[in-house]
Amino acid sequence: MSLGFCFQSSFSANPILLFAGFESIIHEFDPWFNFRATKYLVANGFYNFWDWFDDRTWHPLGRVTGGTLYPGLMVTSGVIYHALRALTIPVDIRNVCVLLAPGFSGLTAIAAYLLTNEMTPSPSAGLLAALFMGIAPGYISRSVAGSYDNEAIAIFLLVFTFYLWIKALKQGSMLWGALCALFYGYMVASWGGYAFITCLLPLHAFVLVCMGRYSTRLYVAYTTWYALGTLASMQIPFVGFLPVKTSEHMPALGIFGFLQLLAFLDYVRSAIPSRQFQTFLWLFAGAAFGLGLLGLVIATSAGFIAPWSGRFYSLFDTGYAKIHIPIIASVSEHQPTAWPAFFFDLNMLIWLFPVGVYLCFQQLADEHVFIVVYALFGSYFAGVMVRLMLTLTPVVCIAAAIAVSALLDTYLSVKSPKPEENQAVEGAEGKKAAKSGLKATNKPVVGVYTTWGKGMIVSALAVYLLLFVLHCTWVTSNAYSSPSVVLASRLPDGSQHIIDDYREAYQWLRQNTREDAKIMSWWDYGYQIGGMADRPTLVDNNTWNNTHIATVGKAMSSSEEVSYPIMRQHEVDYVLVVFGGLLGYSGDDINKFLWMVRIAEGIWPEEVSERAFFTPRGEYRVDGEATETMKNSLMYKMSYYNYNNLFPAGQAVDRMRGARLPEVGPTLSTLEEAFTSENWIIRIYKVKDLDNLGRDHSSAAAFERGHKKKKVTKKRGPRVLRVD
Amino acid sequence: MAPKQRNAAAQTPPPSSTAPPTRAPAWTPSPPTTTPKPSLSKPTTTTTTGAGGGVQTWDKIINNVLSHYLDTTPQRTKLLDAFMVFLVAVGALQFVYCVLAGNYPFNAFLSGFAATVGQFVLTASLRIQTTEANKGDFPCVSPERAFADYVVCSLILHFFCVNFIN
Amino acid sequence: MRSLFSLFLFLFAAVVSAISASGNRLLVILEDVAEKTNYSKFLGDLESRGFQISFEVPKSESLALFHLGERSYDHIILFPTKAKGLGPNLTPNILVDFMNAQGNILVALTSDLPTPTSLVSLLAELDIQLPADRTGLVVDHFHYDALSSPDMHDVLLLPPPSATTRPDVKDFFGAGAGRDDDIIAFARGVGAVLGSSELLTPVLRAPRTAYSYNPKEQSEVVDDLFAAGEQLALVSAFQARNSARFTLVGSAEMLQDKWFDAEVSKVGEKKAVKTFNREFAKRVSGWTFNEIGVLRVNWIEHHLDEAGATNESNPKIYRIKNDVKYTISLSEYSWTTWNPFTLPGDDALQLEFSMLSPFHRLPLTLDAAHSSDSASAYSVSFRLPDQHGIFNFLVNYKRPFLSNVEEKNTVSVRHMAHNEWPRSFVISGAWPWIAGLGVTVAGWLAFCALWMYSAPVGGKRESKKTQ
Repeated sequence: MSLGFCFQSSFSANPILLFAGFESIIHEFDPWFNFRATKYLVANGFYNFWDWFDDRTWHPLGRVTGGTLYPGLMVTSGVIYHALRALTIPVDIRNVCVLLAPGFSGLTAIAAYLLTNEMTPSPSAGLLAALFMGIAPGYISRSVAGSYDNEAIAIFLLVFTFYLWIKALKQGSMLWGALCALFYGYMVASWGGYAFITCLLPLHAFVLVCMGRYSTRLYVAYTTWYALGTLASMQIPFVGFLPVKTSEHMPALGIFGFLQLLAFLDYVRSAIPSRQFQTFLWLFAGAAFGLGLLGLVIATSAGFIAPWSGRFYSLFDTGYAKIHIPIIASVSEHQPTAWPAFFFDLNMLIWLFPVGVYLCFQQLADEHVFIVVYALFGSYFAGVMVRLMLTLTPVVCIAAAIAVSALLDTYLSVKSPKPEENQAVEGAEGKKAAKSGLKATNKPVVGVYTTWGKGMIVSALAVYLLLFVLHCTWVTSNAYSSPSVVLASRLPDGSQHIIDDYREAYQWLRQNTREDAKIMSWWDYGYQIGGMADRPTLVDNNTWNNTHIATVGKAMSSSEEVSYPIMRQHEVDYVLVVFGGLLGYSGDDINKFLWMVRIAEGIWPEEVSERAFFTPRGEYRVDGEATETMKNSLMYKMSYYNYNNLFPAGQAVDRMRGARLPEVGPTLSTLEEAFTSENWIIRIYKVKDLDNLGRDHSSAAAFERGHKKKKVTKKRGPRVLRVD
Repeated sequence: MAPKQRNAAAQTPPPSSTAPPTRAPAWTPSPPTTTPKPSLSKPTTTTTTGAGGGVQTWDKIINNVLSHYLDTTPQRTKLLDAFMVFLVAVGALQFVYCVLAGNYPFNAFLSGFAATVGQFVLTASLRIQTTEANKGDFPCVSPERAFADYVVCSLILHFFCVNFIN
Repeated sequence: MRSLFSLFLFLFAAVVSAISASGNRLLVILEDVAEKTNYSKFLGDLESRGFQISFEVPKSESLALFHLGERSYDHIILFPTKAKGLGPNLTPNILVDFMNAQGNILVALTSDLPTPTSLVSLLAELDIQLPADRTGLVVDHFHYDALSSPDMHDVLLLPPPSATTRPDVKDFFGAGAGRDDDIIAFARGVGAVLGSSELLTPVLRAPRTAYSYNPKEQSEVVDDLFAAGEQLALVSAFQARNSARFTLVGSAEMLQDKWFDAEVSKVGEKKAVKTFNREFAKRVSGWTFNEIGVLRVNWIEHHLDEAGATNESNPKIYRIKNDVKYTISLSEYSWTTWNPFTLPGDDALQLEFSMLSPFHRLPLTLDAAHSSDSASAYSVSFRLPDQHGIFNFLVNYKRPFLSNVEEKNTVSVRHMAHNEWPRSFVISGAWPWIAGLGVTVAGWLAFCALWMYSAPVGGKRESKKTQ
């Protein structure tokens, strides 16, 4: 009953918040690709989707999309769509996609409830965990309607896989282990973050073994999970042989072997009990473990096993990516988390979290060890990468729920003399108290038997919980429910003003360009152009080819003479830039420009130099003081082309960077302005064809402007003779 | 792969003599004397002495163990053990073939080998669950349920392997 | 079928405009309309070839090359005019726009009048330089006409041009001159110097002994030589990337009636011969106005060339390592008819299969099966590279005097689909492992059967357990 309510609340809160402001629309960047892929799946069927060669992205390389994506999300929505159609409920695939995330967040709440119930006998903990899970901003960021991303279903699968794992471990049942493996396989099919499970479960097993808690149940659960789970993960084309070839998956394999050894030794020990022998066994096990590790190192260095990928290095050394793989560091989600973000995303849970972990220490059964390990592991990674906050959120919710429920169970005890008063407080608490109030805790509570004291604490907690709900609502409506393709601003009179430049520009592209006009833009907008404008792009958010991205970076950061051949070679028809100077919009391309330069410099260090974009005093400027390289770069020219005309002479100001621009704006000869959106956020340029008369573009443009060619008859120097 | 295979082989010492002989002396003297032996506290030295000195008692020990095994093991467990030995043999053959002839269709090798290993660990799990001594560890798993679980898991395993071998 | 249909279509089109491959509206700009009598034979020849000629003077109010954004004329001839400029309707920009809109221009200069600045600017854009101060005169003290200019040496006698310098160039202007003593008279003309633009080709060069000087300023002594010898182009052709043609004739006089009929005699030769000017003028104007040297791509077809496949025409997508056949049909227009295009001498027509850079560059060979009496088909079969991506079939055939052929057909080349790989049981190397899997499964089945069969044996223990 109350679980249903929790489910309902978490399910319904999000879409309502979203629809209040905007229509049913897909958010952000990645969801646009997922949406497009889902449409393809629904239109062409599963096998075509599997073999999908996408010739409208990564022009002219194309992308083997079917083999390089995690199909779980699309297949899930495809199945839901077809199931609803089979039930004669006519739905639009877009609505299925938009509402998938909230739907799955409801399932996540249930999974959190189940997992928490495995941890503590108190039923209120599970309900609280479900509630927290439903509204914690850290998770709601991925579960609002329209956030059609892999994480939307992956977090549910993550929590549910953990639940099945705990269940399998507790019962030592092969069936639960197999279920765990199947859901693990589903998780692998859905999100690259499956490696989190792949590493966490072996770690848990290893910690248990180190604590001397090896049991036959562990053996059964782990080996079943590993044997089936690995095979299941290998069925996904994108994963393929990775589970036996890359270092990320080696811990799981190592623990698998290690457990075999332990099981054998355990068998021997049970047959022949002997204390000395036991020490020998442990020694032997340790030696085998060391040997296995050595073997792994050798195999890695010899190249049998791929070394850790760059993304994983950056998990251990936050500076690594910035130096070696700028493309990873350039993603804001891959930055180390700022401290306020923890509070912003988790609010009160963040200080309840250690309490919950501490309570787990008190009992410390196998499953509590899991929570402890997960908490440590998750906290570390959440600190390293903003994006991984998502994997931390479930354990925070669970631990906090354990803590809160322990408090409530203690202070709402019916053992106290006057239960009616508590009942009054419970009224404020709602359904949670109704259940938990019936259950007395066994722990002796010394000194706080007085009703007054109990009431104080319970009401304080209730206030905290209410504040938490307020915070979550506020964060959700302000930070996470705007679709980012539509910007909202407040006019001076307080009314809301919608800035819809992105969609305006994409619509223009869709209606005014050829079907196969290639659009060059920085990769952030690739998925959106593909999804909304339906035009081929050079690079997109699936950053599989660093060189191709660097090529675009080079074209953007070089002068026109260098860029033009690159654009010709890649058959670019239009170039799209995002410019926030007029509106003061911070997410524009000039602010991202240094990343383009860095990525290009990584491939062509002789031709692109980051230093040349900084003034001698080390400043990154766009005004009159900007360096020549900066002023000549295509990106600068495209951003500020004709911008002067908006202002009185000499008054042009970039409102984003607060810079006064030089009086004479840049000139473009190889590109011509095709479209500029209402607030100048999106500017689209058409790439000119080669000059019909064989001139270079700058002289052709000069001729157009009416400059006569200089008389060349009197030119100095040796005469150039025609030789044919 | 290699350690796993060795472990798999080591998993089934009782029915056969697949256990590495170096390790055998360490524990074979133990059955008669359940009390701790001071001389065995240093395993590395005892291995050599045990191997050197116990040659004449070797047959006896093996006989001892065999008879102990035959006496105390239920018939179904023997069946399990026999199946596990069979799986070890199949797995070892595949592995040796892979080492000798290369792993060209890698997916075929992986699925063939993984099927054997997976079947082996599932069978080992079944054996653990149906052993009388471990009953305390599995309050919720009756032998019948264990077998049913086993069948389900094996079917999943076979499905994946057949699918993967293409 | 397809080719037959298109053939018919184009034959029909050819009948409709039998004169030029691109329209017959010809505008002639003269200093004075009355001057046209000087060129009556030249213009008469054009009219007899089907051109509709309009005459205008540069400063005319009614003169407009474009009407509502469309070209009003297909071709222009600009004869020398006295004015310094050509007025607001013939600015260099308008003339460039006219060429960008595929209009053809023939310009005739003379050394008697300074070239209009408008034309000088236009020529500068085309990479053609005229002598300083817009005036110049080409003289040759060894190859002058002894009859008409025994003193001034400003009527040059030249043999018809021959395309000997490049083997891949068709000889449109000098071919079939027949007699060796065919002579072109180039009277009082201006020589130009061509830049190194690949779109420019000299048609008629000055002899090695010729030079250009300014008769007004350098009549006494030639101190600063503009150009000499073969660097002086007397008649030059320019073909823009969109195949719009521009011809510069240094001497307007050579197009006049008097030189069509005149007899000339070389230095040291008593015999007077008739000039080749009339035929040469016909060929130059014919080339400029798209009557010769026009190539047309009738159709392009590519298909899968594999046994058992459907082999439909022009699919959008191929797979890596497919066998593919590509065919292109070309015709060449020659005065009145479309003829099969044959490659000159040592030249080759090549197909590129490219993504970013060519993966294949293959010579196309004549495919008689698809050729007809007005079109010739060239084809090649090849195997696609082992690389997926978006590729172009690209035929890029650009030769002097022939209109440009740049045909790009984009296809996607996809990867192997999941069910196109050989199955494991086809690969003999996989048999041991298939056997391993099979043995495992069979063993498992046997084991299960035995296990269940052996249940009663352990019955008593089982019952004990389940209690």
